[in-house]
Amino acid sequence: MKKILFAVATFSLLVACGNESKKKDTTSEQKAAKEQVVNVYTHRHYEPDQNIFKMFEEKTGIKVKVINASADELIQKMKMEGKQSPADVLITVDAGRLSRAKEEGLLQSIQSEILENAIPSHLLDVDNQWFGLTKRARIIAYAKDRVKPEDLSSYEDLVNKKWKGKILVRSSSNIYNQSLMASIIGNNGEAAAKEWAEGIVANLARSPKGSDRDQVKAVVAGEGDIAIVNSYYIGKMLNSPDAEEVNTAQKIGLFFPNQNDRGTHINVSGAGVAKYAPNKENAILFIEYLISEEAQQVFTDANYEYPVLESVAPVADIKAWGDFKEDTLGLNKLGEFNKKAVLIFDAAGWK
Amino acid sequence: MQQGGNKNEAFSLKTRVKRLKRDSNRWSVFTLAIVFFLALPIIFIGVELFSGPGETWGHIVEYLLPEYIWNSLYLVFFCSILVLVFGVSSAWFVSRFDFMFRKQMEWLLILPLAIPSYIVGYAYAGIFDYGGSMDLLFRQLGLEFVRIDIMNRAGLAFVLSISLFPYVYVSARAFFLNQANNLLEASKMLGVSELKTFFKLMLPLARPAIVAGLVLVLMEVLNDYGAAKYYGVNTFTTGIFRSWFSLEEPQTAVYLSALLIIFIFALILFEKWQVRKVKFTSSKTNSTQIQRKQPKGGLQWLIFSVVLLPIVLGFMLPVAQLVYWAVITASTVFDMEFIMISLQSFAIAISSALITVFFALLLIYFSKWSTLSSIKNISRIGVLGYAIPGAVIAIGIMIPTLALDKWLINMLAKVGIDSGLIINGTLIALLYAYAVRFLAVAYNPIDSTALKVDNSIPDSSKVLGVGNLKTFFKIEFPLIKTGVFSAVILVFIDVMKELPLTLILKPYHIDTLAVKAFEYASDEMVMEASIPSLFIIFTAMLPVIFLNKLLIKK
Repeated sequence: MKKILFAVATFSLLVACGNESKKKDTTSEQKAAKEQVVNVYTHRHYEPDQNIFKMFEEKTGIKVKVINASADELIQKMKMEGKQSPADVLITVDAGRLSRAKEEGLLQSIQSEILENAIPSHLLDVDNQWFGLTKRARIIAYAKDRVKPEDLSSYEDLVNKKWKGKILVRSSSNIYNQSLMASIIGNNGEAAAKEWAEGIVANLARSPKGSDRDQVKAVVAGEGDIAIVNSYYIGKMLNSPDAEEVNTAQKIGLFFPNQNDRGTHINVSGAGVAKYAPNKENAILFIEYLISEEAQQVFTDANYEYPVLESVAPVADIKAWGDFKEDTLGLNKLGEFNKKAVLIFDAAGWK
Repeated sequence: MQQGGNKNEAFSLKTRVKRLKRDSNRWSVFTLAIVFFLALPIIFIGVELFSGPGETWGHIVEYLLPEYIWNSLYLVFFCSILVLVFGVSSAWFVSRFDFMFRKQMEWLLILPLAIPSYIVGYAYAGIFDYGGSMDLLFRQLGLEFVRIDIMNRAGLAFVLSISLFPYVYVSARAFFLNQANNLLEASKMLGVSELKTFFKLMLPLARPAIVAGLVLVLMEVLNDYGAAKYYGVNTFTTGIFRSWFSLEEPQTAVYLSALLIIFIFALILFEKWQVRKVKFTSSKTNSTQIQRKQPKGGLQWLIFSVVLLPIVLGFMLPVAQLVYWAVITASTVFDMEFIMISLQSFAIAISSALITVFFALLLIYFSKWSTLSSIKNISRIGVLGYAIPGAVIAIGIMIPTLALDKWLINMLAKVGIDSGLIINGTLIALLYAYAVRFLAVAYNPIDSTALKVDNSIPDSSKVLGVGNLKTFFKIEFPLIKTGVFSAVILVFIDVMKELPLTLILKPYHIDTLAVKAFEYASDEMVMEASIPSLFIIFTAMLPVIFLNKLLIKK
């Protein structure tokens, strides 16, 4: 009997813990008048973000509680939690995921003059369900000693035979690649996108693997001549604590594709207020703070992203790359074509 | 109990139902209840199967499935070979021979388990990278660096094997140390050579122990996500993530999970089958510690190097790389928060280890006390969780706990209490998930020690009128103690390293070291991930050393 008693005792202990946390919940609601919180589901697991959250806490007294996971997992979590979801704000690293969250009915429209005035119109949702926070460009890194920048022009040109065995790019499971492919479907249509994917696969220097940083290293190591990478990783490499990484990043040239037509593809990291946000007011204050000048300054200074706020200048390292024209394809399209993009990748054999 | 199997088939259905009634007792019911509780998430995933696969299933079968199967088979095959070579050779040498630093190496050989395999993967990529440690070393020496590309299928098999072989080492060594002596003596007396004794006698007898460890390794291999993704190798598990999240089709992911589960179930049945062929029990009285031989000169060096190799590859090299990264990033990453997070991780890991082992004990002994012969097989369903990717289990946990939460919320609303989620997003859901996920890790070492306890021991106690529970506490528990402690420690280490499930189910403001390491690594800040990784290693190291003491003392 001892065992059963033990089992019962353990179970009741578990239940008791549950009750206790429930009690805490109710008491914390009573305390709500005193302690303000905002619950944030975020895909941005960056150290600078935590500094920004701390700055926000100090400024407003609202506590920021964070769940970190990939946007896909967070969306799945919010879907399952439904009305009970504690999430106030969803932050992702690409607009495609935000527009998917919107389609799933996980976000709500909010009124905020601050946000509407500060953010360029192509970087926010038509229904004000989500707002761009930062931008990163999907650019081409090339070996300075082997590639003349004049030979580069657009993403489309990368399928040219002259690049056979020279292109490096990471796996298609990466959202930055999925967004790039979605933008090509949006701009050129599905059939052209499929041909493009097949052309890239035919020109690959090696089977896709590793991170964006690894692609840059492979260019310098001579495995290939050009790599498709995200701009902020280059910024991070240039400021890496590892001297070798800094050296590596200095050995490559950067090229912003499609400057003569639609512009370079950008990933937009953004935020939206959750449909069932228990702390909606705080959520709005929080997002407004994220596009304040001081927060935007941290995004660019510490994380090498392009700020969405025009009054904030990008950090010197990325400013040195000059201004560029960006693809203004409606960002909702990226969410819409995401799945199609993945299917095309598979069919083309882009691992 | 098992001989009845064949005769049974001859009976009509009616007789069989009668037998079922006669043989089942309250323990059968308890066993079923626990299996149901632990299998609940898996059942919920299984139910999804009936809603059919998503519309991209055909697409997956056409373009991806052959590659998933091929890569998974490749990994299973080569990891088996490597793990057996590393695990069994080192276990045999440290059990049979006495050589320099043997005592230290005995526990160093378990340490690779303390490093999450994806971190080992990152470390090796860093070692062989352009501008990586090898490159720098060669440049220092003025040599031409021939870059070794480790980021491929073969490299992945190597990385997974070198970080998982201790499972085989631990179980093989436990056998060699405690069971082998008499046979060894006999073999020596008959003048059989050392090599022949090993291959003809020791290896076949140690097979159940070795295969039990191997099955754990293979489940981990099939479940690996981080390393496979980074190395660009598409497996079932990366496919599950891809179809669930990128293709937005949970049903398709569930179908892939189901295929994976069948795969694993085949492995488990294989293990069961091969253990039955070599039924080996011993009463405690005649097993003495193995007598170690003193190898001379060259042989000692040879043995020393063979044992040192997996330690260097599985622990020292990756840790050296991590320490190097930690030194160059310490100023930006380290703060006191890490101490807090380490404590949190430690507390979570130890409590879930205790809970999981508790369930494993219930499952093993309840099914033993149940006179129903088929119950043992049913109880095995409980260990399937180990084969299922953490993210999928997390979803399987969320479905029932959310339903329960909603029901509770409605009930409370009726009495005027307004509450949020009660189970979900709390430690309860997380601990439950760990128990589901890691039951196999606790089950196997306990079960294998329990098997070695000759049934006559508890039986005689019962004949004397002592009840099941009292017999268990007074007689059986002391005999299986080492198995239980090993189980606690192994689950502890696994929870310390666990990632995908923790990410989804963890409560606010609870962080684990693995989550912290992942946050950096997923942002391509592999170097910065080194400090939390080293904390995981150090936190897991102490129990590992303790585990070793325990196994030797026995």
